[in-house]
Amino acid sequence: MRRLGNLELLQWYGLLGAAIVWAAQLVLAYGLTVARCGEGGNFGLSLDTWQVVLMVVAATLALLAEAAAVTVFLETRSLEHDDPPPAGRRHFFATGAIVGNVLFLMIILLTGIGIVVQSPVCGQS
Amino acid sequence: MSADAARIDRSRAAKPNGWWGMAVFVATEATLFGTLVGTYFYLEFTNPQWPPPGIPDPKVLAPLLLTAALVATSVPVQVAYSAARRDRVRLAQLALVVALVVQAVYLALQLHLFLDDLDTFSPNASAYASIYFTLVGAHHFHVVVGMLLEAWLVVRLVTGLTRYRLVGLQATAFYWHFVNVLAVVVLLTQISPAL
Amino acid sequence: MAVDVLTPGAEQRIERLHRVWRPRPGVLGWLTTVDHKRIGLLYFFTTLAFFGAGGIEALLMRTQLAGPDLNVVGPETYDQLMTMHGVTMIFFFIIPMTTGAFGNYLVPLMIGARDMAFPRLNALSYWIFLGSGIFIYVGLFMHRAPNCGWFCYTPLNRRAFDPGPNVDFYALGLIFNSIASTATALNFIVTIFKLRAPGMSLNRMPLFIFAMLAVSLSLIFALPSLTADLVYLELQRKGGFHFFDVAHGGDAFLWQHLFWLFGHPEVYIIVLPAFGIATSIIPTFSKRRMIAFPLVALAELLVAFIGFGVWAHHMFATGLPTITLVAFAAASMMVVIPSTIQVFAWTFTVVLGRPEFRAPLLFIGGFIVFFVLGGLSGIMFAAIPFDQATTDTYFVVAHFHFIIFGAAVFPILGGMYYWFPKVTGRLYHERAAQISFWLTFFGTALTFFPMHIVGLLGMTRRVYTYKPHLGWDAYNLSETIGSFILAAGLLLIFANLVWSRFRGAPSGPDPFRGGTLEWATSSPPPEYNFAVIPKVTSPYPNWDPADREDDARRLQAGTLVLEEGHETPAVTVRDGYLDEVLRMPAESPWPVVVGLGVALIFTMLLLSHFVLASVAAGLTLFALAGWHLQEPELE
Repeated sequence: MRRLGNLELLQWYGLLGAAIVWAAQLVLAYGLTVARCGEGGNFGLSLDTWQVVLMVVAATLALLAEAAAVTVFLETRSLEHDDPPPAGRRHFFATGAIVGNVLFLMIILLTGIGIVVQSPVCGQS
Repeated sequence: MSADAARIDRSRAAKPNGWWGMAVFVATEATLFGTLVGTYFYLEFTNPQWPPPGIPDPKVLAPLLLTAALVATSVPVQVAYSAARRDRVRLAQLALVVALVVQAVYLALQLHLFLDDLDTFSPNASAYASIYFTLVGAHHFHVVVGMLLEAWLVVRLVTGLTRYRLVGLQATAFYWHFVNVLAVVVLLTQISPAL
Repeated sequence: MAVDVLTPGAEQRIERLHRVWRPRPGVLGWLTTVDHKRIGLLYFFTTLAFFGAGGIEALLMRTQLAGPDLNVVGPETYDQLMTMHGVTMIFFFIIPMTTGAFGNYLVPLMIGARDMAFPRLNALSYWIFLGSGIFIYVGLFMHRAPNCGWFCYTPLNRRAFDPGPNVDFYALGLIFNSIASTATALNFIVTIFKLRAPGMSLNRMPLFIFAMLAVSLSLIFALPSLTADLVYLELQRKGGFHFFDVAHGGDAFLWQHLFWLFGHPEVYIIVLPAFGIATSIIPTFSKRRMIAFPLVALAELLVAFIGFGVWAHHMFATGLPTITLVAFAAASMMVVIPSTIQVFAWTFTVVLGRPEFRAPLLFIGGFIVFFVLGGLSGIMFAAIPFDQATTDTYFVVAHFHFIIFGAAVFPILGGMYYWFPKVTGRLYHERAAQISFWLTFFGTALTFFPMHIVGLLGMTRRVYTYKPHLGWDAYNLSETIGSFILAAGLLLIFANLVWSRFRGAPSGPDPFRGGTLEWATSSPPPEYNFAVIPKVTSPYPNWDPADREDDARRLQAGTLVLEEGHETPAVTVRDGYLDEVLRMPAESPWPVVVGLGVALIFTMLLLSHFVLASVAAGLTLFALAGWHLQEPELE
């Protein structure tokens, strides 16, 4: 029973974790650039440091979400996607989550790296 | 009838439709307030001075105390729902009335502060004032709506409890917990320059 | 469910269902209806009327642009036509057609329910939608229509530069309209979560339902951004507030950020239901289940979610710092991938099936062609330098029309043919339908493909005329000719459907052997949708004969027939276990009354009669009280 409870939590973290983490990284990364380059002064930020920290934290949490999704998938690998719930439902979500998490991880990395390599900091293209 | 409503509520495994409807509504209103708060900080980051010259720093103590009082009304509102779930209709009505009284005093005092602020700095003069009054005003509006919901339930409960009214009570309690969380967020935003 | 011989017990139950669910007759019945099918039909015809209006606006623009230096319409009129074309097509045609018409009619049927979770709210959505459309079109009839483009940028939208009521019609009209869309989205989410037939766990929902869920979640989280923007605009215009003017500490970009925070999810809102229609038509006419079903289902939700993080790609040419733009370029490139997964899944399903290229599948074929081409031009914009070279040219116009017309309207047209038998009980004329497809396809290609070229040749968008000898003339003329061919194709579709409504052959319940539950009941469905709530063990319940036979047995036995009142079951959200039996409201006058109240509020706001607006608000509150005095379980 306890194992089943964990599988449910893993399924939800695997499905939603990377998505939420990417959303947070986007809002914070964007907000940091507005704060850094806006007229309100740059708040004494080292933008690159913050962006790298943000990217690493987000990427780690996204990788953990992928691990969770893969775990659920392997636990339910004998099932079909339309098999009875809850196990069939977990298998279904884990299948989709495995692909989705890769996407989020890529966006997280591209965002962080893209910001850090831009020079000068507040330059326009 | 009342006992039936309470019994059905307890035997349900999932949340009722009305609760889910309120959850989705809360999601959209939370996003709206997220936009308002985001606008506040966006304008702050794009303005050299915040508040702009000539406008005093926001008051801290009075809004803080008032917000604390408002947040505390989550207790009687939740009590109202719990009581109704156990078919204690009169207790539910009493709890709602207690909440209403505190919220009415809160609102009257907040409106006084609001009008006072309007006399000091006008939204016609700066973006700071424009977003300040829009954000704070929007929250007061949500408090008024919440009070109307409570008042309606107090009246409807006079003729007893039905499934419909019990779900309404559950949804209203949810609404109030949301408004109270919002109150803290709006407060922190509004006083942030003074922190 | 095909029940050939009914026992007297079953017949009695059906008779009782008929009596309980029988609608009020006449016009009053339509004004007070809360039946999702009737509301769907109301939406369908109203949105068709707006489609016609938007189409006429387009044809007038294309006529003006057929050659250089023409004077068919002047610049002021052209600006109004251009703005109204965009606003009409997006807010009064596509979204209400896909959500209000297709969604309302089909969602309860596909999940095995008898109505939406909030039937009266559903009716209110329609009346508010209608009211908001009339509200904005009053502006057009006064020759004071919105004239600032559908995105209505600041500073043009300020009173100093656009002093008339045009922009106020725009701002208030769209806030008015967003109430309807929000209510519809809320209704879909709760209905999809709670009203599915027992056994339909989340992993057994049809793909159309996943698409409607994605659309609804997007509407809930995207609309508030637009609402805030429009509220700021009206506070600025009518109240002298300062949000967008730099002189008083405002920011012109604020308008754009908030607009596109809504605007980009909006384009996914436009296209996701079309995906849902495509993923309904393809399995039916390929005679097999959709390949990679879980990936396609999650791709719908992924596209919607990632779409919230790309908005600034509409602002790549505004001079924002590159570090601000980079995050959006990254997400804009990645958002293509879920759509690509879907395109491969659709194509392989057709290729690996036994496809029957009847009209609905032809339209889906056209959809895939335009979607791939439009998607390719779209991802080109994700590259900031390319975007900066082509922004505000006709290349952009080409891209989004390939997507909006090709990828959103084509499935709607295919869906109209596909579900026509279900709604009317008659078959459309197949031959005419196929011709109408080719005419529409060719017209679309001829209208919008040359725009790619003329855009790259430098023709800017949003211009009411252009100079000769720039190399643009031939392309523009072709586009205009194409637009009339397209119009002819659409007229042929319309004529086919009207003719078939009266003279088409009877279709029976399931002419195409579809897999989802709407095909398991009669054509048209009875008011109560299903005599017995269907048993579900897969996302293609109509392809599970054992379950359908089980339905017949349960009808005889009276299990989940629920004929005591307007009843439908509610289930647990994740796994679809039966939880309780709900009582639904019968007809009610309150939705249309509240709709009138809201229309009054917005009219008074437009006229700056704020006291009268408050009075109207008070009256609306009274109507809401009347509404909630009517409790379904006490009826």
